[in-house]
Amino acid sequence: MLRMASFVTALGVIAGMMGVVGGDERPPSTHTVTIEGMRFQPDVLTVAPGDTIMWVNRDLVPHTATSKDGDFDSKEIQAGESWSYTIRAAGDFAYICAFHPTMTATLRVK
Amino acid sequence: MKFSAILAAGLLSFPFVSVSAQDINDAQIASIVVTANQVDIDAGKLAKTHSTNEEVKTFAQLMVRDHTGVNTSATDLAAKLKVTPQDNPTSQSLKSDGDKNLARLKTLTGTAFDKAYVDHEVTYHQQVIDALDKTLIPGAANGELKALLIKVRPAFVAHLEHARRLRSSIVKES
Repeated sequence: MLRMASFVTALGVIAGMMGVVGGDERPPSTHTVTIEGMRFQPDVLTVAPGDTIMWVNRDLVPHTATSKDGDFDSKEIQAGESWSYTIRAAGDFAYICAFHPTMTATLRVK
Repeated sequence: MKFSAILAAGLLSFPFVSVSAQDINDAQIASIVVTANQVDIDAGKLAKTHSTNEEVKTFAQLMVRDHTGVNTSATDLAAKLKVTPQDNPTSQSLKSDGDKNLARLKTLTGTAFDKAYVDHEVTYHQQVIDALDKTLIPGAANGELKALLIKVRPAFVAHLEHARRLRSSIVKES
């Protein structure tokens, strides 16, 4: 228990240092994109650099979240499963489901 | 419409014609769903090995992956609801027509195979969507079964669009 507490404390210190070093005005957030009905919802999501995006597959079939330019690729996300990715760079990232190319969306990082 | 498409339409229109939403129970719906998916998984597995067209093979792999996913969910739900899929004229016709389709496809090669497989996929998905809308969704008594059928519909619509695009692409190439 003590070891766990030390670990948690250490994480907190590291996180605090990162905040100071990076000069962030707010801590990174986690955003959710729901994959349902063969669509990414929302289809345009605006986040900040350092934020984490979690794609949750609520369909009955597997999907992927795959950047068109190769910046990120979830590989197969099974039905009922999720995949998270922390994005560092700013910009617009168009992505698709590699299995169902009609499923398109954009991650806007600024 | 080409002869193969007419033939496929004729083969597949039959299984769903005589069944109305009032005449069907959840055990029969479960059997129809599982059979309909299995028929397309079997056709997809054949196309993966028989076709030499990369687009067709990718589509076939998608059909195997997605319909296996749907069947896993349908089977899990049936077990949870303690519903034993019940054989019925519609599921029997689907199986029989699926077997006929496989037998016919096995006699074909090259572009003729690709056209026949994809034509059948277009017709099959349209027929299943019609069956979902007219018979299966309105006929489902259990709320969770009805919800599963509603949830699966967009995947069939996406497959239909994909198959239509693929058919246009094959026609242009040939």
